[in-house]
Amino acid sequence: MSAPIETMVSGTINGRTVAVAKDTPLLQAARDNGVGIPTLCHHPALPPDGNCRLCLVEVGGKLAASCLYPLREDGFSVVTESGKIAGARAFVVKLLLSRAPEDECLLRLAALYQTAPDPRLAGDEDGCLRCGRCVRACHAAGSDAVALVGRGRSRKVAGAFLEPPADCAGCLACARVCPTGAVKFRETKNSRSIWGKEFSLAPCPVCGRTVGTPEELARAGLDPGGALCPECRRRAMAGALLALPENAAPKRG
Amino acid sequence: MRLDNPAAADELRTRLINENKTFTRRLWVCGGPGCLAAGAAGVFAALADAVAGLGLAGSAGMSCELSGCLGLCEKGPLVQVEPEGWLYAKVTPADAPEIALETLSKGELIVRLLDDPKIPLKDDHPFYKPQRRLIMSRMGRTRPDSLEDYVAAGGYSALSKALSELGPGEVSRRVEASGLRGRGGGGFPAGRKWAACRSAPGPVKYVVANGDEGDPGAFMNRSLMEGDPFSVVEGMTLGAYAVGAAEGFIYVRHEYPLSVARLKKAVGTAEERGLLGENILGSGFSFKLRTVEGGGAFVCGESTALMASIEGREGQPRVKYVRSAERGLWDRPTLLQNVESWANVPAIVAEGPEWFKSIGAEGNPGTKVFSLVGQVRRSGLVETPLGTPVGTLVDGAGGGARPGRTIKAVQTGGPSGGCLPREKFDLPLDFDHLPAAGTIMGSGGLIVMDDLSCMVDVARYFTGFLSGESCGKCAPCREGLTLIGRILDDLCRGRGRRGDVLELASLGETLSRTALCGLGQSAANPLLSTIRYFAEEYREHEEEGFCRSGRCQGMFVPEIDADACRRCFRCAKVCPARAATVKSKREPPEIDLGACVSCGACLAECRFGALRAAPKKKTGETKARESSKPTPDDSSEAAAGRCSQAEARTGSQKEKKGPGSKRRRS
Repeated sequence: MSAPIETMVSGTINGRTVAVAKDTPLLQAARDNGVGIPTLCHHPALPPDGNCRLCLVEVGGKLAASCLYPLREDGFSVVTESGKIAGARAFVVKLLLSRAPEDECLLRLAALYQTAPDPRLAGDEDGCLRCGRCVRACHAAGSDAVALVGRGRSRKVAGAFLEPPADCAGCLACARVCPTGAVKFRETKNSRSIWGKEFSLAPCPVCGRTVGTPEELARAGLDPGGALCPECRRRAMAGALLALPENAAPKRG
Repeated sequence: MRLDNPAAADELRTRLINENKTFTRRLWVCGGPGCLAAGAAGVFAALADAVAGLGLAGSAGMSCELSGCLGLCEKGPLVQVEPEGWLYAKVTPADAPEIALETLSKGELIVRLLDDPKIPLKDDHPFYKPQRRLIMSRMGRTRPDSLEDYVAAGGYSALSKALSELGPGEVSRRVEASGLRGRGGGGFPAGRKWAACRSAPGPVKYVVANGDEGDPGAFMNRSLMEGDPFSVVEGMTLGAYAVGAAEGFIYVRHEYPLSVARLKKAVGTAEERGLLGENILGSGFSFKLRTVEGGGAFVCGESTALMASIEGREGQPRVKYVRSAERGLWDRPTLLQNVESWANVPAIVAEGPEWFKSIGAEGNPGTKVFSLVGQVRRSGLVETPLGTPVGTLVDGAGGGARPGRTIKAVQTGGPSGGCLPREKFDLPLDFDHLPAAGTIMGSGGLIVMDDLSCMVDVARYFTGFLSGESCGKCAPCREGLTLIGRILDDLCRGRGRRGDVLELASLGETLSRTALCGLGQSAANPLLSTIRYFAEEYREHEEEGFCRSGRCQGMFVPEIDADACRRCFRCAKVCPARAATVKSKREPPEIDLGACVSCGACLAECRFGALRAAPKKKTGETKARESSKPTPDDSSEAAAGRCSQAEARTGSQKEKKGPGSKRRRS
C-alpha cells in the first residue's frame, strides 16, 4: 500500500512500535507485523462483522474487537495477550463449543484457553457458530439467498421464510467459507444439493470437468449451457490471442 | 395561517395568552397512558356532555379538555381544576354532573373526590412535593395536539429566537454549555455530539429522535410523545438548524399507536404553519421531519440498531468505534438523541445554559422523568431534578411500601439496570452515582420491590427478558445470557449447585466486557447488582434451596405469626391447594404442609405481614439432594463432582447427545 506519509499513524502493539496507514483495522495491522490474533467470524475476503468476539484485544486497557477497530490516531497502545484477554476468549470459546463441540479448531482453542463446554448449554449442537460468514459470502457473490433469521438463541442461517432459498445459485460460496463445515451440501458427478435445493451441474464442453451450476454460470454472465471451465477458457483465450496477426511469431533471420 | 417570520410566532403567542385570559375556570382531564387505561376517555366524554348540558362552554369562559399526563397514574382518572389547582382522583363518569355543576360553574371543592381530603391542592400533595416539572411542564395545561396551546405556553419562542437572533453556532454553543446529558440512558454529554456533528464535513446530515421506549414498566417517553409532541418537534428543528441537517426522523415504537398519531399530527400541523418544511418562519432554513415506526424489537432502541432499522435493514447494532455524529444514518453525520433529550432543547435555547445548570446536581444539570412503578403506594411518572435521592422518590412521591410489606430494593434503569438495596436509598439519582453503585440511569425506570420479591428471581426474570430480546448477533450475549439464564433457572427451582453463584458472577463480568453493543454490555447488571447486594439470598438458594421471599415455588413453607395475624382468613380463601383450614374464628388458620404446594399466594394476600416464608423441613427427598452435593472437603473430586451432577441433568434430558453424556460413558 502506498499511503501518503501524512495518513500514517503509529503506536505500539505488544510494546513494539509500528506504523500503519490511518484507519487500518487493528487485526490487519497486527498480522502485517507478525502478531497473530485468533479469529472465527473474520474472513479476509469478506467485510468484518465483529460478532464472534474471539479477536478481542486490549486497546489502552479496554477490550476491543480487533477485526473492526480502526487505528485512527497516533499513540495507540495495543496488547494482544493478557489474562483479561485470555479470560474473554475462554468465555467465547466455551460458549461457541456448545454449538460445535467437535470442531477441531474450537477444540484447539479450548485447549489453548483451558476451557470446556458447559453442559447446561447442551442440546443445540448443530455445528453452526452463527458467525454469518456464509451470509456475507452469499451477499458478496451477488445472491443474498441466505440470512441470519430469528433472534437471540433461536437465530440461525436460513432462506427467506425458512424455505429453500429461491435465489440460491448453488455456488457453494457459503460452504467454502464456513469455519466449522456446518453448511452441508451433497455432490455427485451431475448434481449438487444445498439448502434443500437440487442443482444440475454443467460440464465443460471441452474437457468434461464440472464447471458449476447453470444458475451460478448465468449469475456470472456466462452461458449456462456450455461455459468452459476456467482452464479451458484460459487456453481458448490464449489460442485466440496467438491467432491474431500481430501476434504471429516474427520470422527469424 | 402560515407563520412567515420569526416575530409572527411571538405575536401569535401574545394574542393567544390574551384570549386564554377570558377563561374563568377550566377542567383538565388527564389523558396520559395510565388514566386512559383507567377510563379517562369515558370521564372526559361525560364531563364534556355535562358541561355542554349546563351551557358552560364558550361564552361562559369555561371548558373541559383532555390534557397530557399529570403523572399520578395510580389514582387515575385524574381531573385538574384551574385556576384553583385542585386535583380530583379516581374520577368516574358518574361524578361528571356534580363536577360540572359544583366545581366548574360554582367553584366549589368536592372533598369526596380528593385523594387526601386534607389536601385539595395538587402542588401540596406528597406525590408532587419533591417534583420539578420541566419536561412535563405543559402536561396538564395544554391540549397535546394543539399547536396554539403549545405556543401559548411558551412553545416556539426558542425557535423564533434562534432564527432571528442567535444563529446556528450560538444554538449549538448553548446546548454544549448547558451540560445536558443524554436522557436515553448513557448520559453522554449532548453538547459533544452536537459539536462533533456540527463540525463533521459533508453536505448531508440527519437528526434522529429515539422514541423506541421498550423497557418493561417504563412509559415516560410515551407520555412525552403523547402529551407534548411539539416539544420534541421543536427541539429537533433547533438541532437540525444548529448542525445543518435538512432531514430528520422520529423513530417511534410501533406499539405506541397514540404516540405515532400525535407525533404525525404535530409534524403535519407544524408544516402547515410554516414551522417545519420549506423556509421555516421565513428564515430560509428548511427541515423535513418524518416519523418512522419501530421494527418491534427491543434492540431497535440501541442507537446503531435503530439507524439500521430506519435504513430498512434488520435492527442489529454495529460496533461503535466511529461515532454516529461522524458516521451514522446512511453513513452520514447524524445527531441522534432520546426524545426526552430533544424535549429539553427548546428551554435550554430560550432560557440559556446558566438557567439549565441551576437545576439539578453538579455535572448532572436539569431534571429527569422517572417512571415509578412496582410495589409502592403511588406509582406514576415523577419528574425531579437530577441528584434527588432514591428514597425521596420511593418513600416521598411513591408513599413507601404497601400495607403489611417492607421495601427491599429498587431497580433503576430498566431491564438492564441494577437493583439498589434499602441501605442505598440516600444515593442521588444521577448519571455518576448510579454507575458507581453498579446500576444505570437507563431511560429512568424505577421498579420498586418489596419483601415478597426474591432477588434471585428478579435476576432470573430480567435475564430471561434480555435473553429473549437479544438480537443474537454476538456470541457472548446470545449464548452467554442463555447460560446465565439457565443457571438462574436452576437456582430458582431448588436445583442450585455449589459454585453456581461464583460462576454466575464470573460469567456476568466477562459478558459485560465482551459483548458487542451497549445492551449486551449492560445485560448482566441485574445479575451482578443482586449478587453484590443480596449475596445472602443467593447463598440460601444455592446451599439450602430456600427462598426467603416466598417467591420461588417449592423452596419455602408458609409460617403464620399468631400475634400479627388478625384472623381475616384471606390466606385460607386464596389457597389453591386448600391447605389452610379455619378451625376456629379465634385462631389463625392451620396450614397442612403436606397439602401445601408452597406457591406463595397466602403470603402475597396477607395485609398484616403475619405470614412469612420459612425454610422447608428436611424430608427424605431434600436430604437425598443434599447428600448428592459435593461437599467442600471433597476437593479432590470437586471438579469431577460438578461434572457428574451436570451429567445427571443432561442425562435426564431425554439422553440428548452432548459433551456431558459422552463423558459419562467414558
